[in-house]
This record gives sequence, C-alpha cells and structure tokens, in this order.
Amino acid sequence: MSTPPIVKIVRRYQAAAEKVFDAWLDLGMLSRWMFGPDMRDEEIVRLTLDARPGGRFSFVVRRGDQEIDHVGQYLEIERPRRLKFTWGLAGMSVDESWVTIDIVADGGACELTLTHELDPAWSDYADRTKQGWTMMCGKLAEVLER
Amino acid sequence: MEALAAIADPTRRRIVEMLAERDRTAGEIVSEFRVSAPAISQHLKVLREAGWVTVRVDGQHRVQSLNPKAIAEVEGWLARTKQFWSNRLDALERALEADRGKHHKPKKSS
Repeated sequence: MSTPPIVKIVRRYQAAAEKVFDAWLDLGMLSRWMFGPDMRDEEIVRLTLDARPGGRFSFVVRRGDQEIDHVGQYLEIERPRRLKFTWGLAGMSVDESWVTIDIVADGGACELTLTHELDPAWSDYADRTKQGWTMMCGKLAEVLER
Repeated sequence: MEALAAIADPTRRRIVEMLAERDRTAGEIVSEFRVSAPAISQHLKVLREAGWVTVRVDGQHRVQSLNPKAIAEVEGWLARTKQFWSNRLDALERALEADRGKHHKPKKSS
C-alpha cells in the first residue's frame, strides 16, 4: 500500500447528473440503493436527513440484533456538481471521516467520483510525498516475511 | 480505527515515519523536533495506546519501534471502505436503470 488512507472510486452512470446527485439526498431513492434488503441482509429502521449545508442525517439499519446508525453532516451541497458530508457511526469513539461526491455531466450521462478520507489532515498528506507511508508498508512487508 | 485517529496528528505521523526508517529511542525522536520532551512522551504514549508503537528495553535504553499491526488496520479500513462504497455505487446504478425502464413503459390506464 503506498497511499494514505483515502479511498477514491470513479463510476460512470447513464443518467443525468441531476438525477444522480438527487439520489444522494432523496430518502425514497436512498432506501433503494444505499440501505435496505436490496443491498444486503439488513432492514431499514429509520432514515432522516436535512439537505442543507450544516444539516444532519441519520441512517439507522438493523442487521441481526444490532442497530447501526450512520450519522453525519452535510458540508457542501452544490447541485448537481458536488456534495460533501461527514460520515461516522454513532456511538463509535472514532472521529468522523469525510466523503466528497463530485459529478461531471457528459451529455445525458455523467461521471461520479467518490472520495472518502479519514480526516482533512490527510489531504495535505496525500499531496505531500508518500515516502513515509511507502516506507511503513515496506516495513510491514519486511516484518510479515520474517 | 483508533490507529487511524492517532495518526491524523502531523507530529505523531512524523514519528511513525521516523520509526518506519528504523527503531529509535525517545531521546533520538525528541532531537528531531522543536517540541519539548514531555510533549513527545505524550505523543509516544498515544501511539502506544493506539497500537502504533511498541517499546522494548535494551540495556539502558527503551527502544521505540513500529508495530506492523497498526498498518494492517489501516489496510483493513481501506478495503472495507472501498467495498462498502463499491457495493452501493453498483446498487445506485441498478436503481437508476430501474427508473429509466419505468419511463419507457406505456402508462397504465386505470
């Protein structure tokens, strides 16, 4: 591994940018792709969101006997180009992580880039030399091969 | 995930990088920073508690070294997160497809 903990995924959709953007903020739509039995073995308990910058969301699902509450706050909402929000699990001690959705329209289709980073501090780190991280991974390989 | 929270701090990340090069004593680490020894001790404590650093006694010295488990934890986070979103972005595609299908169907007359 030679990258800091940032996940980046690019997808092309045969749908208008607006439609893809709205799918992130529409509860009916979210229950069809983000959570629920169609996605995996889980039930939706309660989805709430306040689609404004500074507004919060809470997506509660039940898996087995466990309730999981995905919580966060919208930081940027620029339809249909950009959506940025914090993302975490309620009751976990870990700080929130940050998710950015960038959508570029291309005729009737669009390209979506999702970036999930652990902490804004990592952004600077990603732009800096990755040497330290690469070394750590080298060290890991070394230790594992012993 | 605690491992990750611990190295969001740039000083601690730098310490981790230094230990990735080679094991060091706390004194050697302090000499690289313009930060007081107690502050570095505190950072090392956080790194130990988060599983990044282990200490062994070598004669007069306490040697700090990097614990590869923490890196494995980071790799675990990356893999889980990538899987989580990949699954959902695929499901989003299916949901959009289903919607498109609907628009092409003739409307039912009730």
